[in-house]
Amino acid sequence: MIRVDRRFLHNFDWVLLLFLGAVSGMALLNLYSASYPPVSWGMPPYIKQCYLFLMGLAAILVILTFDYEELHSWNYPFYIFIVILLLIVLFAGNSAGGAQRWINLGFFKLQPSELAKLMLVITLASYYSRKEVDGGYGLKDLVTPVALTGLPFVLILKQPDLGTALMLLIIFISMTVFARISWQTYLVGIILGGGATVLAWFYVLKPYQKRRIETLLDPGKDPMGQGYQILQSKIAVGSGGNFGKGYLEGTQGHLHFLPERHTDFAFSVWGEEWGFFGSLFFLGVYFCMLFWGLYIAMSARDRFGVFLSFGVVVLIFWQAVINLLMVLGLLPVVGIPLPLVSYGGSSLLTTLLALGILMNVRMRRFQIGQKKEK
Amino acid sequence: MKWSSYNKLEELNEHDEAALDLLKRRLMFVGLLILCFAMLIFARLWFLQIHKGEEYKTRAENNRVRKGTITAPRGALLDRKGRELVTNRPSFNIVLVREDSNDVDKLLKQLSSDLNVDISVLWGKIREAGNTPRHIPIRLLEDVNWQTLAYVENHNQEFPGIRVEAIPSRVYHYGDLAAHGIGYLGEINKKELAARDADIYQGGDLIGKMGLERLREKDLRGEKGVSFTEVNARGFEQQLLTDVQPLPGNDIQLTIDAELQQVAEYLMDAGEKAGAVVAMEVKTGRVLVAASNPVLPIGQFVGGISHKNWNALLENPKHPLINKVVQAMYPPGSTYKMITAMAGLAMGVVDQNTVLYCPGHYSFGNRRYHCWKRGGHGAVDLKRAISESCDVYFYQVGLRVGVDKLAEFANKFGLGHKSGIELEHEKKGLTPTKEWKKKRHGQKWQDGETLSVAIGQGFNLVTPLQICLMTATIANGGTQLLPQLIQKVTSPEGDVLEQFEPQVVTELGKEKRFLGLIRDGMREVVQGKRGTARKVRIKGVTIGGKTGTAQVVRLKQYKHLKEEDIPYKFRDHAWFTCFAPVEDPEIAVTVLVEHGLHGGSGAGPVARAILDKYFEGRLPLYAEETKENE
Repeated sequence: MIRVDRRFLHNFDWVLLLFLGAVSGMALLNLYSASYPPVSWGMPPYIKQCYLFLMGLAAILVILTFDYEELHSWNYPFYIFIVILLLIVLFAGNSAGGAQRWINLGFFKLQPSELAKLMLVITLASYYSRKEVDGGYGLKDLVTPVALTGLPFVLILKQPDLGTALMLLIIFISMTVFARISWQTYLVGIILGGGATVLAWFYVLKPYQKRRIETLLDPGKDPMGQGYQILQSKIAVGSGGNFGKGYLEGTQGHLHFLPERHTDFAFSVWGEEWGFFGSLFFLGVYFCMLFWGLYIAMSARDRFGVFLSFGVVVLIFWQAVINLLMVLGLLPVVGIPLPLVSYGGSSLLTTLLALGILMNVRMRRFQIGQKKEK
Repeated sequence: MKWSSYNKLEELNEHDEAALDLLKRRLMFVGLLILCFAMLIFARLWFLQIHKGEEYKTRAENNRVRKGTITAPRGALLDRKGRELVTNRPSFNIVLVREDSNDVDKLLKQLSSDLNVDISVLWGKIREAGNTPRHIPIRLLEDVNWQTLAYVENHNQEFPGIRVEAIPSRVYHYGDLAAHGIGYLGEINKKELAARDADIYQGGDLIGKMGLERLREKDLRGEKGVSFTEVNARGFEQQLLTDVQPLPGNDIQLTIDAELQQVAEYLMDAGEKAGAVVAMEVKTGRVLVAASNPVLPIGQFVGGISHKNWNALLENPKHPLINKVVQAMYPPGSTYKMITAMAGLAMGVVDQNTVLYCPGHYSFGNRRYHCWKRGGHGAVDLKRAISESCDVYFYQVGLRVGVDKLAEFANKFGLGHKSGIELEHEKKGLTPTKEWKKKRHGQKWQDGETLSVAIGQGFNLVTPLQICLMTATIANGGTQLLPQLIQKVTSPEGDVLEQFEPQVVTELGKEKRFLGLIRDGMREVVQGKRGTARKVRIKGVTIGGKTGTAQVVRLKQYKHLKEEDIPYKFRDHAWFTCFAPVEDPEIAVTVLVEHGLHGGSGAGPVARAILDKYFEGRLPLYAEETKENE
């Protein structure tokens, strides 16, 4: 059902588009530097990212054509679709670093676990928006959301992709707490969480994952092994100083000291080349975009709108925070990208789709077209 | 609303303004949370870039740690008795790190005159590297001898940027033995690199290009080690800080028997024969010999094969690049007669007492189909028809059964489909049917063609492995097994990761009771007075076998010539397939000699030598002339 009303065009969210344009522009600039000098074969990452960015913009346009309320009914087919994709990946995906994560689509490798994050946001928003419990959600009320989160969580953990699985958990906790839960639930949650952490440490985490955590707690323990990435990233950012070494002048990046410098550690390249003030500017714009997202939530016309935009903000926010804290040496290396900035088609598309939903909520903030109901 | 159908909780009024406001108020806290984290990140940035900025700047300039990789030793390949076929030895390469050298031009000139190598070779290597980053080492000379090594090590002060790299390299203890199956390594190319994980492979790595080296790459490659070297501001390496030793690859023990394989390859080679030899344990499917001649000169592939050598291999009329065990197809010739016999018996069109008369030819339609024996065999029963390979007998059996039934039985014995052995590019052969011809050629099947098929000519095509599999299936009483090449895979710690288990593909039904009769016929081929392979006999063991001649499309002009005068490429292929001991079969051996004329004389002696070696020290197996068990 497509309802295009001139008022929607009038209400179009130019501010968010501006933020998106600014962040993406800087990100592409940075990606060019991170993959410099270009390799002789294959498409350079920044060109590929440009194409995907355009694809994402087209997807946003499509999303804007329908009312976000339709997501209520699209939610479960979308959920099932993603779960099937995750199963395909588990049984037939391409492996990288011993993990099965992609489905090769030819022009890019789809990582369904990225889409799963957005799917969870929509699913939980749809669920929580329909019910408000006095005194907060009790344990019984949470059975369905826990099951809905648990399935993709387990599938992603199996790949194994600890970082993304953890993201699903964080999204679930954020949205559930936001929906309000009873104090008993808090208590049980804390006890279960603590227990699960202990169990995970002994039974679930692979040795390399433990090493990463140990390294962070005690960097002296393994300075040349797992600590290497973090140390090199800290040196890169730190040596940027006040104003940075200048664009394309970063030595850490270009002399190949910095690993994963166009994916997870993209921000260290920015930090090294643009310095403290450059970073401040970049992150300033980035966080303003998130605050604008919250403002959209404030202005939403209904509960679903609030939950959706809150979920999208939280999705981008936690990934950004975890990535930045990792790059700055405050968290272990967990393989979570900086949305819009790190190279990677699936993450970029997911983030753009999420922002498309945000724009949709903003565009339909007034009660237009609601007359038909009830 | 559509979604309400799955909503079990009570629906609330979405537009309850008060509740919505309450919800929105919580967004304030979220904003606060985001602000807190933003502040934390800004504070950390300030700490790293402003507070400690100078310190990190110095570290970036002076105290750099570069990460390098240490190649893991590849897993070894052993034969069934644990003899080492392929292992590793250290080899030394001379590499150049351009970043560390201030004058590459001068350096190369010096190097070329000191080591007496052509400077264009050195420049060629650098050009090949293209625009890889300047700190990545480029291999200038690979696998150098110790004089060169000692010279470079002693004069390293004169060669800034030149280093010696030690990497494990393959040693082939048995030379080219089983080269087609084992395969070889080569430097990873850009396409392979792009398709693989960057964490595991990088430019310059060796990767399996053919055979088990390629198919079992994951098992063999091991896990790279890491080294951390301190380098100064200009990229010069100062000292090794620490390293993580690589994890060697898994060892693979093959089912191949090096001694038997050697016998096969040696005899084929000595007779300048092109073709294939396969031997298999009939009760398990273990492949003991998989030889394809001419052998692949595996030594030429170490460190990259030269253009000239590659072209010579490509143009060699005996096709050394093809693994004839599974990749070449031939008409099965008379070895197919066991299939025709089996189909005839199972369909009830003949039994052991059926006698047919062979006058030396058989008239069908308006054509005369000849028996190989111009004078004819006279009255023959099935056993004699097999032992003397009477074409006329099998023409008639084939006609009575029909081509589709022949194909059905051929499939039960492993013909017409891939055996599933762990070798590359296995051909599935061809067992023609009426439907196949309609589809492939758009023509109706002619009954005359059935006659050719019944004696293994015509459209029939098989691989040597398939004939061996067929023989094994006859020998073991009708169980078609999966031919396997791997005995076990062992980790460097000695844990067995994979262990051989016989795998049954299909089993004959009650028609397996006829196999005894067929084995009797095959026994007569070798042990009988008038058998076609009497030369293969070994004292002390009874052998059952079958010879075959696969017609190569022959031109009329050569018809009148004596066989020896026909040009090589128009001569017939020779088959011999056998099993032993007849009383309790253990091994099946199949030999195909391309353009070898006659099965008995061309291929038989090779099979005989293998059986001789296999039963060495165990003969006589049975007391003089024991009675047959069946």
